[in-house]
Amino acid sequence: MKNGKTILIIDDDEDFASALRKILATAGYHILTAGDAKEGMNVLETTHPDLILLDVMMEQYDDGFTMCSAIKHDDRLKDIPVIIVTAVTEVTGLKFDPATDGEYLEAEALLRKPIKPDELLGKIAELI
Amino acid sequence: MNDRLKDAAGKREKFPFLEGSRVLVVDDDDMIRDACSLSLSKEGCVVETAEDGETGLAMLEAFNPDLVLVDLKMPGMSGLEVLEEIQKRAPDVVSIVLTGFATIAIAVDAMKKGAYDFVTKPSTPDEIRIIVARGLEKRRLIMESKALKIAQEKIRRNMISLVSHELRAPLAATVQFLEIIIGGMAGKVSEEAMEMIGRSSQRLREMLDLVGRWLNLATFDPLRIADYFKPVDLSDIVGECVKAMGHVAGEKGIEIILERPENLHTMEGSREALQEVFNNLIGNAIKYNREGGWVKVRVFEDGDDICAEVRDNGKGIAEEHISRIFDEFYRVDGRRNAPIKGSGLGLSIVQTLVKAHWGTVAVESELGKGSSFTVRFPREGKVPRASKSARRSLLT
Ligand SMILES: Nc1ncnc2c1ncn2[C@@H]1O[C@H](COP(=O)(O)OP(=O)(O)O)[C@@H](O)[C@H]1O
Repeated sequence: MKNGKTILIIDDDEDFASALRKILATAGYHILTAGDAKEGMNVLETTHPDLILLDVMMEQYDDGFTMCSAIKHDDRLKDIPVIIVTAVTEVTGLKFDPATDGEYLEAEALLRKPIKPDELLGKIAELI
Repeated sequence: MNDRLKDAAGKREKFPFLEGSRVLVVDDDDMIRDACSLSLSKEGCVVETAEDGETGLAMLEAFNPDLVLVDLKMPGMSGLEVLEEIQKRAPDVVSIVLTGFATIAIAVDAMKKGAYDFVTKPSTPDEIRIIVARGLEKRRLIMESKALKIAQEKIRRNMISLVSHELRAPLAATVQFLEIIIGGMAGKVSEEAMEMIGRSSQRLREMLDLVGRWLNLATFDPLRIADYFKPVDLSDIVGECVKAMGHVAGEKGIEIILERPENLHTMEGSREALQEVFNNLIGNAIKYNREGGWVKVRVFEDGDDICAEVRDNGKGIAEEHISRIFDEFYRVDGRRNAPIKGSGLGLSIVQTLVKAHWGTVAVESELGKGSSFTVRFPREGKVPRASKSARRSLLT
């Protein structure tokens, strides 16, 4: 049931990445993974995935945001939809940060960790 | 010599804080500059002098003094202006005023502008040494408490990073695996196992939620949020919260009564943050209530303040607990199996958010009778415009 589409997962949490890989593989996607933003950029030099799943809270706090912004300002890459995944909860409405909220918007979607598999697959199907 | 100095001078005490301390003297009178310089250098102080305010302020950064002696009456920039600038640029530096005419009014004015003490001219070398020594002791205390604050801040940061990386990340990954099993993507599981996995996922999600709430509170920056405040209508916001809570109240057989005026003045704030405040207060009033109880929510104006009161006739809070309910994680019934669930974070979040809006929260309560929480905010245009550094020290 290969659907031929390629997704790049960039996350420094190996377990989390492997869980995402499992969900996406079940749905027939082809998966690439990178452990940090730098590795992710290297992968993007040689490949052009159909979608990127990007964790924004890697070791370096703003790695993910910076990377998202870099992708969206690169003529060769900016057409690739990016879904930001983050463990930052906003349940209390306390995290009020337009500076980074603005950058969220550069991505096509934002999903909170942990992600319901249906929600993830639904979002991806919407975008590619 | 005036009375407040006689005692100390009489004892001819040593001045332990003078040795090696850096003192800047700002005075247009060279006799005074030389006199101060001489009597302080004798005790081992490093002294620099400036003949006017501008020069003195320019030296503030280069010389990095522990203490500044400032003449009140100088040509050009006045002593009070110099004090104000020092307070702004180097709030940890202790300043002492030199004045030829000591009136209470001038002293009070100087103290308001940040002076710690004053010396009346003419003054003896002893007077200068005693007052400077006292000022330097103050400086030592300021620096010690600052070091302590920095240490505490470091611990807090480590805690935040620990909670976020070592607690939240593994929890999220674990729940993610469970979701895969629940979603049937890891093969068939017995119905019984599935139910347990479902419960585990639920419990872990609750824990994640708590961790997230704590992290939000711990990383909350009141100054940053204030930069994005907009004029809002508190009556509107409270109305929405009451509406959203109606369902929960109805389920528990509790009546919510809302009383709010037309044409309330606006206040400066964040809608989301204020909603959070009232969701917590109204939520508590419902939670700690009784069958058939009521919650009265009233928005009103009092002078320049926009206020809201959330009153209930529920359980109430015993006096000995009242002072602690705003503490992080404090719960009156702190037992693990307490019948009413909660994290003890709600009211600390309320207080943090209210303070960020230049507001206050007051509580009145009687055990068995009920409680009332009143918040007050300055209305738009009546917000104190303190400098950022002054606000930061007020808020932390
Ligand atoms: N309206 C109220 N009536 C009685 N007790 C209250 C009320 N609001 C708060 N409390 C008490 O204050 C404590 C702290 O409240 P809060 O910080 O909101 O945490 P939580 O409700 O999660 O325990 C509560 O555990 C409760 O005992």
